Amino acid sequence: MDGLNALIHGFTVALTTYHIALMIAGVLLGILVGVLPGLGAPNGVSLLLPLTFTMDPVAAIILLTSIYWGALFGGSTTSILFNIPGEPSSVATTFDGYPMAKRGEATAALSYAFLSAGFGALLGIILITTLSGSVARFAMRFSSPEFFAVYFLAFASFVGLGNASPLKTIISIGIGFSLAAMGMDSVSGSLRLTFGLDQLIAGVSFLVAVIGLFGIGELIVTVEEGTKLNGIRARVSLRDVLRTAATLPRYWVALIRSGLVGIWMGITPGGPTAASFMSYGLARRFSPNRDKLGTGEPEGIISPETADHAAGTSAMLPMLALGVPGSATAAVMLGGLMIWGLNPGPMLFVERPDFVWGLIASMYLSNIVAVVLVLATVPAFAAILRIPFAIVGPAIIVICFVGAYTVASRPFDLWLVLAFGVVGYLFKKLDYPIAPLVLAMVIGDKAEDAFRQSLIMSKGSLAIFWSNPLVATLMVVGLVLLAWPVIGRLLGQVLAAPRPDPQAPR
Amino acid sequence: MISRFHAELATAAATAAFGLVIAVGATEFGIGWGGAGPEPGTFPFYIGLLITAASLGTLAQSAVQRGTLGQVFLTAGQVKSIIRFVLPFVAFVAVSVFLGLYVATALYMFGTLALQRHYRWPTAAAIALGLPLFLYLVLEWAFQVSLMKGPLEAALGL
Repeated sequence: MDGLNALIHGFTVALTTYHIALMIAGVLLGILVGVLPGLGAPNGVSLLLPLTFTMDPVAAIILLTSIYWGALFGGSTTSILFNIPGEPSSVATTFDGYPMAKRGEATAALSYAFLSAGFGALLGIILITTLSGSVARFAMRFSSPEFFAVYFLAFASFVGLGNASPLKTIISIGIGFSLAAMGMDSVSGSLRLTFGLDQLIAGVSFLVAVIGLFGIGELIVTVEEGTKLNGIRARVSLRDVLRTAATLPRYWVALIRSGLVGIWMGITPGGPTAASFMSYGLARRFSPNRDKLGTGEPEGIISPETADHAAGTSAMLPMLALGVPGSATAAVMLGGLMIWGLNPGPMLFVERPDFVWGLIASMYLSNIVAVVLVLATVPAFAAILRIPFAIVGPAIIVICFVGAYTVASRPFDLWLVLAFGVVGYLFKKLDYPIAPLVLAMVIGDKAEDAFRQSLIMSKGSLAIFWSNPLVATLMVVGLVLLAWPVIGRLLGQVLAAPRPDPQAPR
Repeated sequence: MISRFHAELATAAATAAFGLVIAVGATEFGIGWGGAGPEPGTFPFYIGLLITAASLGTLAQSAVQRGTLGQVFLTAGQVKSIIRFVLPFVAFVAVSVFLGLYVATALYMFGTLALQRHYRWPTAAAIALGLPLFLYLVLEWAFQVSLMKGPLEAALGL
């Protein structure tokens, strides 16, 4: 099946009344999740994942991805109207979005955000449509060493390209791997690292960890910072939206540049938050209006929003084609795929083309649905934010604990959520990255299996990771990325060193 | 008041201890080469060592950067507001184990709204009863997901 036929087939799968209804419900839930402080996309998707266990996988993934798109849009609404990012990836949008809204141009600010976000998402989806099939076909040649090398590359890029301290990133990844190792060992079948606790026999669910780390942790940060909502009332009129849309092509350089940054950060596991900051940073450096950035400049909204959504959508490419998610939310969805009995990675394209192409087609549709719905519902969601945090905060706490209980109906998980909440809070405050921890929890077993199977193939020799050009290239790139914090510093010093002046007296 | 430096040290020490516990715990399952390849403890053992090494590195880094890590991590006021927020939901978890999640939710919402935030009792009671009812309708009725129940639900035959 070639790409176009596959996509058309995908549209026939996605375009049913039931699936469209799920997209609308998912986007609305996602906007709510994005709007409420303390409930981000990974947490929102985790909370709803247990409810999809009885659904057909195509319907379930459409619902979950729609929540994801909705959450990415919802985060921008609060950034612009309340100066509070509903999502970490919307922080950069506050820099220019809120000043612009305060100036009385809330509709223009929201329109710039949503339309450029829609453009970024579209770029990401086009990339997935055109590349995922080829990447998956290429990955068909992979065996255990190549898969381990890909996992290694993913984790190495967190260490080398992330904003956090490399050592803290390694700690975060290591904790994720350790938690994934608890319970039944998938190779030997023996029980590991249960420390005599029956409750650990089944291991630690990544969903419980995500709910604690992202949900409870974020709420404690919100409380500590003291939430003050100084909202701006916004009514979105179609005429103002169209007028803003007409000016959008003027910023084509920012749109393309940010889209490319987003795509790159989505495919490598940099994620939407890093993408939005990087894109804003580039705008500050290269924009002709760079001096005005921070005062309510359209480019300051367009850059982070385009990159945020391009990264959010592109993060699905490695998840689908290789089984390596590019963001924390994609990691949660990958966990969902495994729970639904699907095998993420290249074989998914062969075994379940209806699932893959139905999902890709739904991404086009649900992002259009998201742009329309988010513009239409701004006043309603802004009104929800006027409910005092004294009520919303405890209600979110209850939803987090209830959500964690629904994962496996174990009271022990409630205590685990508490513990992860404290860890999440400390890690956020001390700049330990959380996304690599979640990623390691989700693909820890697969990475370990690939490592062990490779060693079994080579009778214990690590030389198997250099045994052919493909695996060796992947490992070398991974090692370079791992050492990048040191290499980058050395390169910087070499480039910054003053050149000897040939005229200077000896 | 807690300084950033002390918070960095305490957290790095905790992660180092976690790494050690994992490494030592993994030795129980064998960390060498067995009949079927690497023994089950091998991978977690080295991961545990890696966490410990990276944590020691972070400790050393914090010590070197002590001068720049002197800023306030948490003020006394922030500690107080965190405790006021966290303690009630720790109690919520403890209570839910005995009385079930519905009753615990109602008590937690009522407690935080009426006693902590001084909402009028009828308003607090309405929200405290409304949220469990909403959860019941969404989870048990719409999605057939059962929540942890306690003696009250048993008495009501739910």
